[in-house]
Amino acid sequence: MNQETAAGSGSFVNFLNLLGQFTLKLIGELGAVAIFFVHGFSLIFSYPFQFGKVVQQVYFIGVKSFLIISLIGLFTGMVLGLQGYYTLVKFGSEGMLGAAVALSLIRELGPVLTALMIIGRAGSSIAAEIGIMRISEQIDALDTMDINPMRFLVSPRIAASVITFPLLTALFDVIGIIGGYLTGVLLLGVNSGIFFNRIYDSVVAKDINGGFIKSLVFALIVSTICCYQGYFTHMRPGGFGAKGVSLSTTSAVVISCVLVLVLDYVLTSFLL
Amino acid sequence: MAQPFIEFKDVSKSFGSLHVLDRVNLKIYSGEITSIIGKSGVGKSVLLKHIIGLLKPDAGQILINGKPLSEFTRSEWRDFKRSLSYMFQSNALFDSLTVFENIALPLVERTNLPSGQISEKVDFRIQQFELLEVQDRYPSQISGGMQKRVALARALVTEPAMILFDEPTTGLDPLRKNAVLNMIAHYQHEIGFTGVMVSHDIPDVFFISNRVAIIENRKIPFQGTPLELEQSDDEIVWQFIHGHEVLQDQLTGLNSKPEVEKLLSSLISSASSGDSVSAAALFTIDDIDKIKEGVGYIASQRIFQCLAMILKGLLDAKEYAARLGSGEILAVFPDSQLDRAEEVIRCLSERCSMEELMDPAKYKKVCIDFAIKAGTVEVDGSMDLTALIARAREKQKVIAKMECKGVADRK
Amino acid sequence: MKKYSQETIVGIFVLIGILCVGYLTIKLGKMELLGSDYYHISATFDNVAGLKPDSSVQMAGVEIGRVQSISLNTKDYVAVVKMKIKKKVPIQEDAIASVKTSGLIGDKYISIQPGGSEELLGDGGVITDTESAIDIESLISKYVFGSVKK
Repeated sequence: MNQETAAGSGSFVNFLNLLGQFTLKLIGELGAVAIFFVHGFSLIFSYPFQFGKVVQQVYFIGVKSFLIISLIGLFTGMVLGLQGYYTLVKFGSEGMLGAAVALSLIRELGPVLTALMIIGRAGSSIAAEIGIMRISEQIDALDTMDINPMRFLVSPRIAASVITFPLLTALFDVIGIIGGYLTGVLLLGVNSGIFFNRIYDSVVAKDINGGFIKSLVFALIVSTICCYQGYFTHMRPGGFGAKGVSLSTTSAVVISCVLVLVLDYVLTSFLL
Repeated sequence: MAQPFIEFKDVSKSFGSLHVLDRVNLKIYSGEITSIIGKSGVGKSVLLKHIIGLLKPDAGQILINGKPLSEFTRSEWRDFKRSLSYMFQSNALFDSLTVFENIALPLVERTNLPSGQISEKVDFRIQQFELLEVQDRYPSQISGGMQKRVALARALVTEPAMILFDEPTTGLDPLRKNAVLNMIAHYQHEIGFTGVMVSHDIPDVFFISNRVAIIENRKIPFQGTPLELEQSDDEIVWQFIHGHEVLQDQLTGLNSKPEVEKLLSSLISSASSGDSVSAAALFTIDDIDKIKEGVGYIASQRIFQCLAMILKGLLDAKEYAARLGSGEILAVFPDSQLDRAEEVIRCLSERCSMEELMDPAKYKKVCIDFAIKAGTVEVDGSMDLTALIARAREKQKVIAKMECKGVADRK
Repeated sequence: MKKYSQETIVGIFVLIGILCVGYLTIKLGKMELLGSDYYHISATFDNVAGLKPDSSVQMAGVEIGRVQSISLNTKDYVAVVKMKIKKKVPIQEDAIASVKTSGLIGDKYISIQPGGSEELLGDGGVITDTESAIDIESLISKYVFGSVKK
């Protein structure tokens, strides 16, 4: 009897131990990411500015995502138009469709879906690219040339993300509204004037600012996480070389996506 | 000697349970090329990475101009680092940049030169390293040797005061290897940089090195000039210098030279105390250098191998034979009379004449007369090792011959 | 076909992005560019239940401004509503502001009925004559429980 309780308390202590270990590791990791971010972000403003590299990254992260964001935006708007219509028509208030589509796009779907798409398209390749540079000693080579690898690799990517995320989010919103217009007005016959007037009436500056604040936060989070995962590929336990890079890429995408969705909730509750 | 530029003092480094360096002491002098040689995986690259600060020692100190690296201020360290170039074993080229951009990168990022001047400097290096056709390609599109040259060009483009070469010639074809070593030596004379080179290419690197350090078993058992290296009778050192001969000796089954020399010395001492009498025989290919020049290196080595293999076949288990010089084999017959040596020579002579390699018809294009000579000597304790060998050489007689009758006039 | 340089393409991208941002912030978010086209007035109400910042301010059914903020005057326990009104719409000192509902369950808005006075309200002016929101629930309950005076 006594022995049983001892074993029970033993496993409980074990559990506490594991929980403690996990928490400490998590806090350590968070601290490391935070330092990494501050370091990388502050170097954006170091002289001489790296305009060329930022432009290159804007091209890579932004321009190359242009089409896919437009496509996703269009279809999201269209499906919102359809769903919204069939829900609203039950209450005879299909005039609200424009507001429903625009608000859900601007407040939620625009920033979140844009962030998720960019993670999939650009975030994964940022992690992989930096990871490969790490394992093939290219980062060490930069270091030996007295070129700060953080400044050279991480800062332009963070800067480019901060530029592209809000732009792509805005693009997503506008194209989404056009998509909603296509299904709502052209397909289902909602009055075009009412559709847009409802949008103008219901959307306020706070919604738009909230959307942009979200997309800026996502930009910082996503670029930092993806760069961090790639940059420390060699520190990763249990995976070296190509395997390490693949693990880094996977965790960059997974962690970024999870953080985007969690932070979306947190931000929404603060902003509302 | 003057104060070393870089000095390792009792530096130890381990990765987890793997000890790589154990209280290593090394001196690198300014304006010289220091080669670090050693087997793969003994920590040569680790040694280099300590100099540039990519790795920090667990214990001990690295002194630069007498000042410990750990006491450097940030700006001092920066200045020191700016005067360095590092050429990675894996080249570490930026694979998303073209060859041209790769070479230009250190200049673009580190200097305020106008772009015209940068491209002028880069073009110069590109021409020098024959990279003109590939300058717009990406590193993954060019061959390994070319990548090596790009890495070298990138290391040299900043005209650094010190360059650390991590195996600069590995993976190059022999011509290019010589070209690269040549280039390193040439620029060393011209710019006067300090070079530290990790290499496997023995003996090529000796020609351009002022100092050589051997790293083995977590320590540096030898460091000094190449001349001192050749004079050294340390077993490890010998193995390094005669690495390629060791391979051949293994192919032919010959024993190593120090082994045989040791045996012979012990026989001499036991003979002088009157315990026993032994015999030795010296076989020479006359003249192997001529064959090398006339017919080629491979042919000369084949003939030597052939001789060594026949000889080895005739010897029994306790009799030893080793390569002495490039065309000489010393055989030792412990506890035997001269007759035993004579008998072996006789058999050898018979067997040799049957060999294909002794047939003039084999040498259709170039044919050079050569002969195999042999001489015997009694190990009686009255002579030391050198005298013994000299005596045997004196007594040599021709035991087999290859003459280019008939084929010779075609030459 | 002419190949555009990477910089140009990035430029096009940024331009399109900024146009979208502009559309959202200026057109939908009603951001005020270049100074203000509005002047501010306020009014106090007994009850503004349902009214929200950014609700519309109308005159004869035409939107002439927006509600800026709603706060409580803790001295008199009345609601203070600050509004911004388009500059080209003059409002008389004796105008009447009332909280109305669009439709039965629609959004609340403020309706201003023009007055007859010569005096116009300037920036920071106060409308004194107000009508509070009609509380439909209490109206209905009064009707249901029969206490509405005929």
